[in-house]
Amino acid sequence: MQLNWGDDDERFRAELAAFLDEHAPAEAAAGFDFQGEAGGDGGIVPWLRDWQATLFDHGWMIPGYPPELGGRDCTPAQTLIYLEELARRRIPRASHFPGYAIVAPSLLEYGNEEQRRLVPAAIRGDTIWCIGMSEPNAGSDLAALRTRAERRDDVFVVNGQKVWTSYAMVASKCFCYVRTDPDAAKHRGISLLIVDMDTPGIEVRPLTHITGQADFAEVFFTDVEVPVGNLVGPLNGGWALTQGSLAHERAGLWVDGVARLDQTVRALVDLAKRTGKDTDPGVRRAIAAMDEQASSLRSLGYKGFASFAQGSSAPEHSYMKMASSEAGKASYELGMELLGAYGAVTDAELGEEAGRWVTNFYVSFANTIAGGSSEIQRNIIAQRVLGLPRGV
Amino acid sequence: MDFSLTDDQQLLVETARQILTNECPPRLLRAHLDDRSEYAPLWQHTRGFAELGRGDCTDLCLFLDELGFVAAPGPFLATTLFAALLEELDADTALRDAVAAGEVTGSVAVAGRSGVWEPNDDLVKSFVLDADAVDHLAVVSATTGTESGVVVTLLPNPGARALRAIETVDTTRRLFEWDTGDEIGAAIPCSSDAWRAFADRAHVMVAAELVGAARRCFTMALAYAKEREQFGRPIGSFQAIQHKLAEMSLVLERATAAVHYAAMTVDARDPDRTRACHVAKAAAGAAARRNLVDSIQIHGGIGYTWEHDLHLFLRRATGTEYLFGASSWHHDRLADLLFG
Ligand SMILES: Cc1cc2nc3c(=O)[nH]c(=O)nc-3n(C[C@H](O)[C@H](O)[C@H](O)COP(=O)(O)OP(=O)(O)OC[C@H]3O[C@@H](n4cnc5c(N)ncnc54)[C@H](O)[C@@H]3O)c2cc1C
Repeated sequence: MQLNWGDDDERFRAELAAFLDEHAPAEAAAGFDFQGEAGGDGGIVPWLRDWQATLFDHGWMIPGYPPELGGRDCTPAQTLIYLEELARRRIPRASHFPGYAIVAPSLLEYGNEEQRRLVPAAIRGDTIWCIGMSEPNAGSDLAALRTRAERRDDVFVVNGQKVWTSYAMVASKCFCYVRTDPDAAKHRGISLLIVDMDTPGIEVRPLTHITGQADFAEVFFTDVEVPVGNLVGPLNGGWALTQGSLAHERAGLWVDGVARLDQTVRALVDLAKRTGKDTDPGVRRAIAAMDEQASSLRSLGYKGFASFAQGSSAPEHSYMKMASSEAGKASYELGMELLGAYGAVTDAELGEEAGRWVTNFYVSFANTIAGGSSEIQRNIIAQRVLGLPRGV
Repeated sequence: MDFSLTDDQQLLVETARQILTNECPPRLLRAHLDDRSEYAPLWQHTRGFAELGRGDCTDLCLFLDELGFVAAPGPFLATTLFAALLEELDADTALRDAVAAGEVTGSVAVAGRSGVWEPNDDLVKSFVLDADAVDHLAVVSATTGTESGVVVTLLPNPGARALRAIETVDTTRRLFEWDTGDEIGAAIPCSSDAWRAFADRAHVMVAAELVGAARRCFTMALAYAKEREQFGRPIGSFQAIQHKLAEMSLVLERATAAVHYAAMTVDARDPDRTRACHVAKAAAGAAARRNLVDSIQIHGGIGYTWEHDLHLFLRRATGTEYLFGASSWHHDRLADLLFG
């Protein structure tokens, strides 16, 4: 066990710091506070789009990738330092995540040569992608998806519906999971298609978040013709690709959530002082308990990273998403509690920073649902980490 | 930043686990219930690790976690706390060497009757670990005479004094109260830095032991969930039980990580160490509480019996949570740091 980073790693951090000092956009801090709710068209914030391109051009978008993919071939530890440093400075990384975080790594692993040519633009953010997984009857049980794709000559004809599709209103391409063999067992009849969003037969109906922002949509497919060349990976082999994300960054996915929690603890301290509750022992203890969680989760994240770097499976990762999203929710709720009667007030003249706490509270609900709900995470921990038998 | 165990640390854990599993079975804990001298054969094995007391805190905490797992009775924790204080005081080299060699045992008396582990002028010292059996006692007191206001008195053979045993639920641990009256002799000044360093190390040490006890409760519950069948299948296949175990393991894992981090900050004399050690003890307390309560629940009726071994570890976890500051006390200290 070793507390400090090595010299090479500290040099890497210094280089990054110099880059950020020079280039980081002034709007960064505000963007980090209200992530995903910063306003803008369908969730896309113009200055963030520019920033993503700047990161790419300087090899700081995915540092673990080679330069032509917006990186600099750095080590896993340096990737962790990178994520840590961005989070510490409250600098968001991208205007839209599906392209760089999901599409790019999946295409690099499973795509043919032509498909892999889509990768740089996905990472740089030039192409906006959306992910078509969830359907009205296939959420946590993703393998139950029903959107059909039938082979007819050189095209797949797609019929069905996706839902909760983030960025669908602005995306030009969709990573779309479809059923290609309705007779096979449910995990074995799924394929992945690249669908151009301007193909005739696609209808996008925006859905509004509980916060009032319209960031995701329903997507309807009626006889949509997709060239067979847009099949990614093997026919009926799409299930394996649903697990795709930046494998080498997975060990650092927690960094952002924990940094946010840390910042919320500091904001809670300030709020308690402003509201004169900083001498209330109950309030002090509640905030300290939140700090205990944030701090111990950070340690757990690093511990998981250590197992990952050694090539062993890291059960710690399974805990991090659930724990940081649940703690996040509780931390904003605590803020509302400190506001007393003003907890629900969003009136800009009266409410604490125009309802900042209640808004963040609502936004944080998404984190315990999307990308595998907390309940699903607990199932995974119980069955895959603790080795308990599957239920019936 | 590297949380992985070195080969030496891995070996230390494996060796400790093997020895302690053999030498400290629940049978010994039960014998110790009736006869408090039953720890003696076990001590012959654990004293060999006393050197850890003045070594890296990370290694020491790995060993303490294993001791907590088997709920080992005996003066290891007391002696390594004593060693930590002697090292900070830079006093009596011969004594320090003898302690590190496992030849001499010791304990530290800090808390007064109020049960707060901070220097105080209470003439009654309370919650003193193993005071009847150790060779030396370091009594920490508050004074107005020095820069730091803290002094330490070293006394030989505390067992000869008029000690009062404190009964707690934890039958694996021996605690005593001692009315020092005016028996305390010449004192050594203890600087604020030395006291702080000792307190930090003590907090993470106790946290490490506590995490071990919590892990035992968890391990037993997990094993039972896999083996006990109701309604024709293992109870561990029921989602209510699965989610309980998932939450139990989460709080345990984060406490373990918090202890490792805190121990590293102690070794590095990192500026974050006081905070990290409060976090470690509070997180360990949360892990203990959650795991002891739910491990009994998962065992059902059998877990509620004296006959089943679970209560031995339940007791260890309960008792240890209150040593060197309960979780709420550490939260208060954490709040002091946060609020400035
Ligand atoms: C902000 C946001 C953005 C999203 N963006 C996208 C996107 O871009 N693309 C996309 O494809 N999807 C997206 N989603 C959808 C998301 O992946 C699903 O909401 C999620 O998988 C849950 O599915 P569901 O909503 O159908 O809920 P359900 O699966 O119906 O779950 C409802 C409740 O039942 C619980 N539950 C379900 N199964 C179990 C079980 N086995 N054990 C215990 N409890 C269970 C769940 O935990 C939950 O509490 C987004 C969702 C949100 C909130």
